[in-house]
Amino acid sequence: MSPKVLLIDPVRMLPSLLLPLVGVLFVGGFSARSYLWAALGVAGTVVFAIIRWATFTYEIVGDRLETKRSLISRSVRTIPLERIRGVDVSTPPMHRLLGLAVLKIDTGASGGDEEAELDGVTLQEAERLRAVLLRRTARPETHAPDLAGPGERVIIGVPRRWLLYGPLSGAYLLTPFALAGGAIGLTFQWGDDLGLDQDAAWSAGEWLWDHPYLLLVAVLLLVLAMPFVGGVMYAVFNWDFQLKRRDGYLVAERGLINRRSVSLESARVRGYEIVDGLAERWAGVVRAWAIVTGLGDSETRGQLLPDVPRVVAYQVTADAIGPYRAPLRPHPPVARNRRLFRAVFPWAVLSLVSAVALLATGTVLWWFLLVPSLLLAAVGVPLGLDRYASLGHGYDGVRLAVRSGSLRRSQAVIERRAVVGWRLRQTWFQRRAGVLTLIAGVGAGKGGYSAIDMSEAQGAGFPAEVTPEWLAPFLTSRTPPTP
Amino acid sequence: MTSTGPLRDPANRVSPKAVRLWLLESLFAFVLFLGGSLLIAHWVGGSGWSWVPGWFADHSWTLPAAVVVLLGPFLVTEPFIRYAVHRWELSGDVVYARSGYLTREWVFVPVSRIQTVDKAQGWFERMLGLATLEIRTASHAGSSTIKGLDHHVAAGLAEQLAHRAEALRDDAT
Repeated sequence: MSPKVLLIDPVRMLPSLLLPLVGVLFVGGFSARSYLWAALGVAGTVVFAIIRWATFTYEIVGDRLETKRSLISRSVRTIPLERIRGVDVSTPPMHRLLGLAVLKIDTGASGGDEEAELDGVTLQEAERLRAVLLRRTARPETHAPDLAGPGERVIIGVPRRWLLYGPLSGAYLLTPFALAGGAIGLTFQWGDDLGLDQDAAWSAGEWLWDHPYLLLVAVLLLVLAMPFVGGVMYAVFNWDFQLKRRDGYLVAERGLINRRSVSLESARVRGYEIVDGLAERWAGVVRAWAIVTGLGDSETRGQLLPDVPRVVAYQVTADAIGPYRAPLRPHPPVARNRRLFRAVFPWAVLSLVSAVALLATGTVLWWFLLVPSLLLAAVGVPLGLDRYASLGHGYDGVRLAVRSGSLRRSQAVIERRAVVGWRLRQTWFQRRAGVLTLIAGVGAGKGGYSAIDMSEAQGAGFPAEVTPEWLAPFLTSRTPPTP
Repeated sequence: MTSTGPLRDPANRVSPKAVRLWLLESLFAFVLFLGGSLLIAHWVGGSGWSWVPGWFADHSWTLPAAVVVLLGPFLVTEPFIRYAVHRWELSGDVVYARSGYLTREWVFVPVSRIQTVDKAQGWFERMLGLATLEIRTASHAGSSTIKGLDHHVAAGLAEQLAHRAEALRDDAT
């Protein structure tokens, strides 16, 4: 490890030490003795950091990476290089100032503890290690010559003006509330030390209760801040997003303060998921994730694209992983009735119940239940119709696609060879409607991707079209697969 | 039990003893529910709590009666419907299995994608000489569980699947 990490570790530990230190000072009445104790505490963390740095070593020995830690107990971890599935390099703010990086090595093992982490190597060393670690693993994958070209090629660098789409994604929208909550929590935590007690908190609460419009204004301000703060957070995390191809790996780099670079082995990518929410669909932008086998923390690591225009997303995913070139087939009309029923019925029942209760009791309170449930039932109509419009499935000879969802619509595109099995599910209600749900089992991503409410003919015909050799023995008639 | 449109029924039924297994299992659940409702009825009936509506406190026997009337038909029909639905077949190196009661499932698992084959026996199954075959792939959606097989059938099938899976191993997952 670089010795510069010594500057980071004690500083990072300070926040957790601050409270005990302040406590010591208070208890000691700010006497010389208490300052001595506090100074000892700080010195202790520095010494601890030095010992930790001095006793942690890593080494590439032959075909494996060994990390040794001999602080109190000795531990040696050995990672065979062919096991390494990806390398995740990130530079948190302090590391960045000092030219250091954190290297996380994904071995496909389950559990966070199984990942090796090298915290505080220099940037050059991180680059060198990544090249060494990944080159060894990429070598056996020579059957993909077009992927294994030397050097690197940028597939897309997302222009900064597209960061403006950020607030549409709905990501980080709750940040203002989280910040406010954090601030309140911190006040309570530190309140004791600062001389505030429960009575003070109570009186503050009562004072607020007497001025409800202040509370309302605060909530309104927080709500108004949502898109702005959310947009800023989005921009900070997705700054200068770049997707590159390097030696059989897809490398995604992003971030303004914490620059993060994730490498995904192309040979393990099985497909991709294209996601858009309501607002994003209106603006014509989508996000994309890769579907990768054995990828931990895939929600953040698997991201291929932040919000970009739909056409661009199709080009990039086609270039990086592979195109999907076939229209999606609609599901039968009875599926529309089912989507509508499910979106409207619960709210209709609730409004009926509250209407009856209103008539029976005449309590004004029931209006508060009746009006929202009526509104939600009304909104259910366009929602149900849109859910039906989203349903679709298709196959272009190489990849299959399934799509569903409205508030968060998601289209999964999966390689045919990645399918490990099929599952058809039919509830009692579906049986009466003559539809069923087909789930394609895939040993990557979520594990299964569903096509909801297909007709029974489609449910048997689609798997028979994608994997005819598996289904052939079980079909009653040799009719060609239904389109 | 007719099959879905163009799909034919899997060839083999599970063991007839499986009916007894499902009967035992649903009887077990039934006794639990009935016992629970009797306890509640007993407490509420004798308590005289003010928040309990009068008509219910006076007729607390209606709760266990409702449990019997509502759950009774399920108790009786479930084992036989399950026996009619649960079927399995291995042909063309694909395991095809059907299962379910109110919700039905058809699963197709090609032998080439199988990762592990487990044979498990619960307490009741042990008593009846039955076994459950668990066929796992890299995906939970592509995995299959066949319940209520005769023990020797399950053992033979597990053996056969393990052998074929070895021969056909395809690491595309």
